[in-house]
Amino acid sequence: MLTVAPLPDADPGATLRTRLTGFAGFLRANGFGVGGGDSPRVLEAAEQVGVLDGKILRWSLKALLCARGDEWRRFDALFDAYFLRPNKKAFAESHVPKTGPPEWAGAPGDANAQVPIATAGHGAAGEDDGRAQRHGASREESLASTDFRDLDRADQVRDIEALMRHFARRLKHLQLRREARFDHGRRLDLQGTIRRSVASGGTPLRLAWKDRRRVRPRLVLLLDVSRSMSQYSFFYLRLARALCAELADVYCFIFHTRITGVGEALRDPDPWRSQERLHLLAAGWAGGTRIGECLQEFNRSDGPRLVHSRTGVIVVSDGYDTGEPELLAAALGQLRRRARRIVWLNPLLKRPDFSPTSRGMQAALPHLDLFASGADLASIEHILPKIIETLR
Amino acid sequence: MNDVVDLQRQLRGAGYIAERPLAAALLLMLDLGRPLLLEGDAGVGKTEVAKALATVRGAKLIRLQCYEGLDVHAAMYEWNYQRQLLAIKLLERDERSVALKEQDIFSERYLLKRPLLEAISCSEPPVLLIDEVDRADEAFEAYLLELLSDFQMSIPELGTMHAVSRPLVVITSNGTRELSDALRRRCLYQYIDYPDTEKELAIVEIRAPEAAGMFARQLVEFVQNVRRMDLQKKPGIAETLDWTAALLRLGISAIDDDGAERILETLSALVKTRGDRAGFTREVVARIAATC
Repeated sequence: MLTVAPLPDADPGATLRTRLTGFAGFLRANGFGVGGGDSPRVLEAAEQVGVLDGKILRWSLKALLCARGDEWRRFDALFDAYFLRPNKKAFAESHVPKTGPPEWAGAPGDANAQVPIATAGHGAAGEDDGRAQRHGASREESLASTDFRDLDRADQVRDIEALMRHFARRLKHLQLRREARFDHGRRLDLQGTIRRSVASGGTPLRLAWKDRRRVRPRLVLLLDVSRSMSQYSFFYLRLARALCAELADVYCFIFHTRITGVGEALRDPDPWRSQERLHLLAAGWAGGTRIGECLQEFNRSDGPRLVHSRTGVIVVSDGYDTGEPELLAAALGQLRRRARRIVWLNPLLKRPDFSPTSRGMQAALPHLDLFASGADLASIEHILPKIIETLR
Repeated sequence: MNDVVDLQRQLRGAGYIAERPLAAALLLMLDLGRPLLLEGDAGVGKTEVAKALATVRGAKLIRLQCYEGLDVHAAMYEWNYQRQLLAIKLLERDERSVALKEQDIFSERYLLKRPLLEAISCSEPPVLLIDEVDRADEAFEAYLLELLSDFQMSIPELGTMHAVSRPLVVITSNGTRELSDALRRRCLYQYIDYPDTEKELAIVEIRAPEAAGMFARQLVEFVQNVRRMDLQKKPGIAETLDWTAALLRLGISAIDDDGAERILETLSALVKTRGDRAGFTREVVARIAATC
C-alpha cells in the first residue's frame, strides 16, 4: 500500500525509516502541534503495528499524532499526500500563505497604510477624512488579502500589553460555591482540623479553615473585522493577543460574514507563524457583516462548550449589520442565557454624529449588560473599571 | 489487521460497536502503554469505550469522575483520621515505643484509597477511566500528567507508591475547556463523532434487540434526521436507546405519518430543551416520519 521512492543503492529499511520520520515534520509544516520527540514515537508505533498494512498504519499514526479535533479531520488528506502521492511538496507549499499587499489600505510603506493603526493606537479618532463613507455594512465577503505585519509594531504593542496586564490583574475573581481548605478563612473546617490534630495525638493545635474558592471569569472575545470596522480591527486584535498572553482562559473569535476562532493563532509564540495563521483565517477580512448569523453560528458550534455561567462575553462591533435584526436579537438572547455578562464595545459611540440607532444596535441593546465606547487605548483605559465591575 | 478485527468482534460481544480506527487505536494503546484521550460531543459513547474495554480485558473498571474543584483528597488518597484518632486512644496503654506506634498509625490500614491510588495498586492492570477531565482545573491536570508519566505517587507519611501494574488509562473530554498541549501530547487521540445510520442501527440492534428489523431502521433514520436539524442539543446514542425503549413501551411498532401524534408523546426522551421541543410540531414529526 505504501509507495516508497526506490533508491537503487539504498537499504530499503533505511529509506522507509527516513520516510516515516519525515512525516512528523511534514505534519508540523502543516500546522500540527507535533514536537521533535514525535519522530521516534512514529518509528516505535510503526514497529509495533507493522508497515505492511497501510490502513492500520494510518489509524495508528492518526491516534498518535493528532491532538485535537481539527487535526483529526485534516489528517487523512495529509497522510495521503505524504505517503501515497509523489508530489507531496506541492501540497505542502499550497498551505503556505502568500503575503500580498493589503488592497484596502494601500501598499505597505504607503503612509496611508498606517492610518488605521495610528489612529487606533494614539487616540486620534478624529481623522475621518474620507473614511466615513466606509461606515455601514455590506453583504459581500472581501477577497482582498490583509497585511498582518503591522500586528507586531513594537511601539504601540508595549502600551497595549501594559494595559492588558493591568486589566488581567484587576479582573475580579468570582466566588465559587464549592469550598476549599485554606490556612486562613472565614469558617472553621472541622474535618480538616481533626485531620491535623492526628499529628498531636488528638489535640487540635492547628486549626484548618474553609473558604469559597475564587476563579477569574472566563472571557470570550468576539471581534467584528468587517470593512466598517477596519479602522479598529488591528487595534483590537492586538488587545486580544496581549490579553491571551496574560490570561489562560480567554477565547478569541473574529467575525464578518462568518465566524472563526483565532485563539491558537494569536497564542503562537512565533510572530511570523502567528501572522501566517491569521492570514489563513482572515479570508473575508474587511468585507461585509452578518452579526446575527455569526452569533448564531457561534451559539451552535463553540458556544455550548465555551460559554458557561462564569463567562463574560465581550463583543466588539459597530453594529452595522446586513442581516436581520431579529436574528441578532434572538442569538444575543440565547447567548445571554448561557453567559454571565455580555459587554458590547462600539468604537463609534463617542463620535458626535453617531447614535446607536442602526437596526442591529437597537435589537442588541436590551440584551447587553454594558454598552460602551472603545475607539482607542485611552478610551479603553477609561472604561476598563466599568468593564471589570460588570464582569464581576 | 486480524488483531483489529478480533478486538472489534470482542468489543461487539461486550455490547460496543467500534469502528476499525478506534479498535486499532485501542490496540496501539495496549502496545505502547499510553493513555487514550477521547473527544467528542456529549452522548456519542466515549465513556462506554472504557467500560467495553474493561469487559473485553476482564479487568476491573475504576472510574474517576472529574468536577470543578476536584482535589487530591478526592482523587488520590486520604488518611482515615477518625480511625487514626481512635487508634491513638487505644494505643495509649500500649507498651510499644512511640516510633512503632507511629508506624502503625500511618500504615496502609488507615489509608483510604481514592480512584487514582486504587488504580496503581491493583495486582491486575485495571482500566482507569478519567471522565470529563475538562471539568477539573489546570492544577489537577498538571498532577495527572505527573502520575501518567511515571505511574507513581508520593505520600509524605508513607513514601512513594509505585504502580504494581500499569493501568490502561482512558480519558474523556467534552471540550468545555482547552486541555493543555502537554496532556494531549502524552496521549493517543481519538475523536468520536455521532454514528452514521449503519453504525447506529447496529447499536440499536445489539442494545435493544426487541426493536425488530424494519422498525429499528426507521427509528434510527428518524433520529439521524433529527440530528440534521438545527437543534441546541443534538440527541446522542443514549437518547436513541431511551427513545427506542419509550416507543416499545407504548407499543409503537412503526414510524409513519399516522403515528405522529403518539410519536410526539415520546419525544421527551429525544429532545431535551424547551426551544428544541417547540420546533417539533405534529407537522414536523409527520414530515420526518414520512421520509423514514
